[in-house]
Amino acid sequence: MNTTTDKVRASLKKRYAAEKRFRFYGVFAIAASIGFLFILLVSIVSKGWPAFTQTFVKLDVELSSQTLGITDAPTASELRSANYGGVVKQSMRNRFPDVSSRGDKKALYQLISTGAEYELYDRVAADPGLIGSTLSLWVPADDELGALIKSKADLSDPDSISTRMSDKQIGWANRLQSTGELELRFNSTFFKNGDSREPELAGIRAALMGSAFTLLITFTLSFPIAVAAAIYLEEFAPQNRWTDLVEVNINNLAAVPSIVFGLLGLAVFINFFHLPRSAPVVGGIVLSLMTLPTIIISSRAALKAVPPSIREAARGLGASPLQVVTHHVLPLAMPGILTGTIIGLAQALGETAPLLMIGMVAFIVDIPESVTDAATVLPVQVFLWADSPERAFVEKTSAAIMVLLGFLILMNALAVFLRKRFERRW
Amino acid sequence: MNTTVADDILHIPRKQTLTVPDTAQEAFDKLTHTVGTPTVADPKMQTSDVNVFYGEKQAIFDVNLDIGHKEVIAMIGPSGCGKSTFLRCLNRMNDTIPTCRVTGNMSLDGEDLYGADLDPVLLRARVGMVFQKPNPFAKSIYDNVAYGPRIHGLSSNRAELDDIVVDSLKKAGLYDEVKDRLDAPGTSLSGGQQQRLCIARSIAVSPEVILMDEPCSALDPIATARIEELIDELRQNYAIAIVTHSMQQAARVSQRTAYFHLGKLVEVNSTNAVFTNPQHELTENYITGRFG
Amino acid sequence: MDKLHLDQHISHQFNKELEDIRNKVLTMGGLVEQQVTNGLTALLEADNDLATEVVQRDVEVNKLEVEIDEHCTQVLARRQPAASDLRLIVTVIKVITDLERIGDEAEKLGRFSRDLIELKDDLPSYRKELRHLGELVKSMLRDSLDAFARLDVDAALAIAQRDEDVNREYETLERLLSTHLVEDPRQVSKLFKITWCARALERVGDHSVNICEYVVYLVKGRDIRHISFDQIRSEFIK
Repeated sequence: MNTTTDKVRASLKKRYAAEKRFRFYGVFAIAASIGFLFILLVSIVSKGWPAFTQTFVKLDVELSSQTLGITDAPTASELRSANYGGVVKQSMRNRFPDVSSRGDKKALYQLISTGAEYELYDRVAADPGLIGSTLSLWVPADDELGALIKSKADLSDPDSISTRMSDKQIGWANRLQSTGELELRFNSTFFKNGDSREPELAGIRAALMGSAFTLLITFTLSFPIAVAAAIYLEEFAPQNRWTDLVEVNINNLAAVPSIVFGLLGLAVFINFFHLPRSAPVVGGIVLSLMTLPTIIISSRAALKAVPPSIREAARGLGASPLQVVTHHVLPLAMPGILTGTIIGLAQALGETAPLLMIGMVAFIVDIPESVTDAATVLPVQVFLWADSPERAFVEKTSAAIMVLLGFLILMNALAVFLRKRFERRW
Repeated sequence: MNTTVADDILHIPRKQTLTVPDTAQEAFDKLTHTVGTPTVADPKMQTSDVNVFYGEKQAIFDVNLDIGHKEVIAMIGPSGCGKSTFLRCLNRMNDTIPTCRVTGNMSLDGEDLYGADLDPVLLRARVGMVFQKPNPFAKSIYDNVAYGPRIHGLSSNRAELDDIVVDSLKKAGLYDEVKDRLDAPGTSLSGGQQQRLCIARSIAVSPEVILMDEPCSALDPIATARIEELIDELRQNYAIAIVTHSMQQAARVSQRTAYFHLGKLVEVNSTNAVFTNPQHELTENYITGRFG
Repeated sequence: MDKLHLDQHISHQFNKELEDIRNKVLTMGGLVEQQVTNGLTALLEADNDLATEVVQRDVEVNKLEVEIDEHCTQVLARRQPAASDLRLIVTVIKVITDLERIGDEAEKLGRFSRDLIELKDDLPSYRKELRHLGELVKSMLRDSLDAFARLDVDAALAIAQRDEDVNREYETLERLLSTHLVEDPRQVSKLFKITWCARALERVGDHSVNICEYVVYLVKGRDIRHISFDQIRSEFIK
């Protein structure tokens, strides 16, 4: 037993204790992050879940051309301007013949969403032969009624319910519910419609398509440009002050606040080049400016990580510089480049500020069909809905966040899939 | 007969009066010219007055050295003596280092390596290189060997390419070990096999000269012995220049040995002469392990 | 290079091993020289005890040879010496072979002098004839060992040259002894023994020459065996 052994033994306990402490910190940190993530997800999902269902009311609609105010052989424009609201109101009156006062009638009509008229129009426009017949139809209920049904309130006891609806309205709803004319169904509207002032009619599709178009533009612009820039800087550019300057600027660009890019987009693309306002094409360009540095930096890191021995081997065999890059370096760096790209795109997907500057915050009812149509994107939609006063928008907000997260997960899954594919080719 | 041997004795050169140097700088300053026979009667590659600079720093000083047909020339010397730098100049692998500057004459079959009309890509097809660390491409064994012929368009169809691949693998002594798994990744082989794959890859382009930069430094003795055996066989067809840290390896595989010291070529002679009776004190000190 | 620089290897152990071997060779050389001197003394002065001692001590010489041989093998196997180190080892292996032979010749001297004493040799004058040859050979052996110790090429070549004197002296002796033989054939067995002694001394000279040649190889890296001395002399000795 010499002194070294004794000294080491004496310090061992302390060292192990330190290690234990450190491990505990680590586990605690992970547990905390998982906990927060869990709380976030639970809160979002629990709030957003109801948005995927919607309350429908069954209506027997009598499509008389008289009530619609059209001729028997209506033209398209006649169909468009026909009085569907009147028809809906009529059928509600028919359903509740005992309602007579003007005020009561108005209150009765409020049970049904205005979306009923659009739905009716869609049906008639698709098949004008329906005119004259009586149609049995499920139409969306008003958002207040919907919220009431979703909260599983006891409609027979109006006093127990706190709502903006009057007792009379609750009574009518109760009657509808007891005869099975009130139903909770999957909310396909949410995925089919654009935005709307009426919560029960508001959908995510416009924003989803807007995001998809924007990201498409972002990807097609930023990926090739960034990869080309990274390859040039890493493999070909001479090492001098000029390239140093470029490098510093790229790194700084990654740290520029995104709103600045929005201002740039507004000034250059919209005011100078007169590209359409609120369009995914402008949003995509702005976001690709923002994404470029991220992809360039991560691509350069991926290229740098390719062992120089591979380059030497290829050069030693007489491969030209470009062949060295395309045959050997790029395939090996691809997984890293793709990861960087996905991170950049995910950033772009969640970006709001620059898009506000170029008008993608607009209220978009129509689903965009091309990159030049006015559109909004998912995070902006979340922002808009979170700002709306109606109670039903709260659940829409959370549902939109869920869709956004789903989109992200899908993108990441794609990235993982691509990585695996490239890696399998060693 | 006696007279020639005696003549030999008459010309025993006096060693440069150099005792073991006090400092590396002192030894360096005292080096004036190369001892031995840097030229051969029938050179494949010739170099004269080669100086190499990395920026301001000079790495090679006035080197004159020939590489003969069908010979293995070993370059030895302590780390940083410039032997690798010199080797890499022989197929212009240093071109990619922007600060690297080469002066003097280097030629392959009389053609100036650094001349305006010589394409470095073509040069590297004629002067192949094998590196210190086995560095197979992230491709199959077949594709590794086929890569060179493919980019240079050496085969007109698949059958011809197959022949080249099989032939190269056979020459590298690897074919029997991998013939059943040519589709397996090159990186799945053992270190020694990988290095032989790299040699097969180089000879697939039918080079005239093969440069080897410490090809066995990452290998175990048995794999090393295989590579050395291979080098001996390849000597029948190629001129080979090998840089090595192992003096025993230089002694085993080479016919001539060149000793570099701090960027200067100190001595070139037949390997037999260098390892039994080096002419220069510095060479003597290095190969007997007396370096201070 | 007129020094071996045995103390300048990076490996101190290697320094020590080579130094050990060299010292052992010098020890062996000293012992062999002593044996030759004693053998000659025993012969010239008919000293039976000294003769016996010489015969017995040959075992020591043999033991040293085996020991040094083994050392050299170990160094070859473990150090793979090159250049001057390699030449040193090769030289040592050869030098000790010659030293051992010289030892054998000294032993012969011892044995013959005992035999001559037994034969009640009454021909001391014949034996005295051997003194000159003996002194010549002794100095050659001593000088060649000196040349080996000092790595002195010039000395080594000069010593090698002296072999001709030894040969001349031996031939003279041979003629003298054959004259005696003719004059007094009864002494044939004694005269033969004396001739054998002369022969042994002459052989010691030859072995010394070999040692000198190895020294030249060790220092200059050139093998000068079987080359006419006139040619070597003209160049090496100034």
